[in-house]
Amino acid sequence: MTRALARAARFRRSEGTAPEHVNIVPMLDMMVIILVFLLKSMSESSAAIPQHDDLRLPSARAQTDPAERGIVVTVSKSQILVGDQSVLELPTHGSVASEGAGASAKRGGAAELYIVPLGEALRRARVTDRAVRAAQGLDPKASEAVIVADRSTPYRLLVEVLYTLGQHEVGLYHLMVVQGRG
Amino acid sequence: MTVLDAAQRVQLRRLCGARSLSSEAEVGELNVVPFLDIIVNVLIFVLATLAVTFTASLDVKAPSLPGFSTTSQGLDLTVLIVNEGFAVKTAGGNVAPGCEAPGPGVAIPKRGGDYDLPALSACIRKLKQSSPEAQQERQIFLSANPGVEYHVVIGVIDAVRATPEGDPLFSDVSFRVPR
Repeated sequence: MTRALARAARFRRSEGTAPEHVNIVPMLDMMVIILVFLLKSMSESSAAIPQHDDLRLPSARAQTDPAERGIVVTVSKSQILVGDQSVLELPTHGSVASEGAGASAKRGGAAELYIVPLGEALRRARVTDRAVRAAQGLDPKASEAVIVADRSTPYRLLVEVLYTLGQHEVGLYHLMVVQGRG
Repeated sequence: MTVLDAAQRVQLRRLCGARSLSSEAEVGELNVVPFLDIIVNVLIFVLATLAVTFTASLDVKAPSLPGFSTTSQGLDLTVLIVNEGFAVKTAGGNVAPGCEAPGPGVAIPKRGGDYDLPALSACIRKLKQSSPEAQQERQIFLSANPGVEYHVVIGVIDAVRATPEGDPLFSDVSFRVPR
């Protein structure tokens, strides 16, 4: 009798036109966890480079993985940064093409390649970098840099930045680009 | 008439869907579904944004100053980005326009006012295949006029590292400072 009642109850439920609602809350919970994970991984990755008018990366065919190791040096249209710290405000684009970072930022005038404020920031950054490389089992006497530069940066300024990095034992540069140009 | 015991009554109530409301449920449960809907929309937006911002990195070495000797031997290939196009130099001398023989001039002139990167890649490939020693070489030097923009430099690095078909050319790129 009890079984008959149970069967009847099941039949009444399945007979209905449609379930009242599908419970999607567990799926949405999962989505929230994925979202939090994505936002966290994006914010921590050096590959996460915001694109705006002051800093627009060039594009390339290369399909290599973005480098994660090294001192991050950013060259935008208006300034140079080491990590998140701004070290030098740049002059106008026309002036940068002929004189690089400007005579006032260099010891021996405009013809010089070494950018003093950048060098000082790199000297401080290298203290941490040496310790990190030693802890990672890498040679602390040499280092790497991740160069994030605007697509319109003149070659003169690029060479000055790379030269200054070279003076602080940085011998390998990872130039960040956007994948895409066919 | 059969009399149901307590367990049977509970089972029957469960199967019929009749549930006794807990004190919490009676108060009313917080409806989080609209909030979660927003989160899902944000998630889709984030995923769509991610798809267009994949980055890569090109590895290059420190620039060498004029007058300093370089360790390169053999082909000693250098690409100069000038206002008229790409000048290509090897240990044997300057490469003439057309990239067929040595001679003066710009090897790959601009085409329609733009730098001709596919032609540069083809020229570099031809030079690499010119001798067995050159085929083994991986180093190439790059220099440019002071005003040449970074995206052109990146385009040249891209073109000399591999052909558009993906065949490797010169993966070891170093900068040179113009005199």
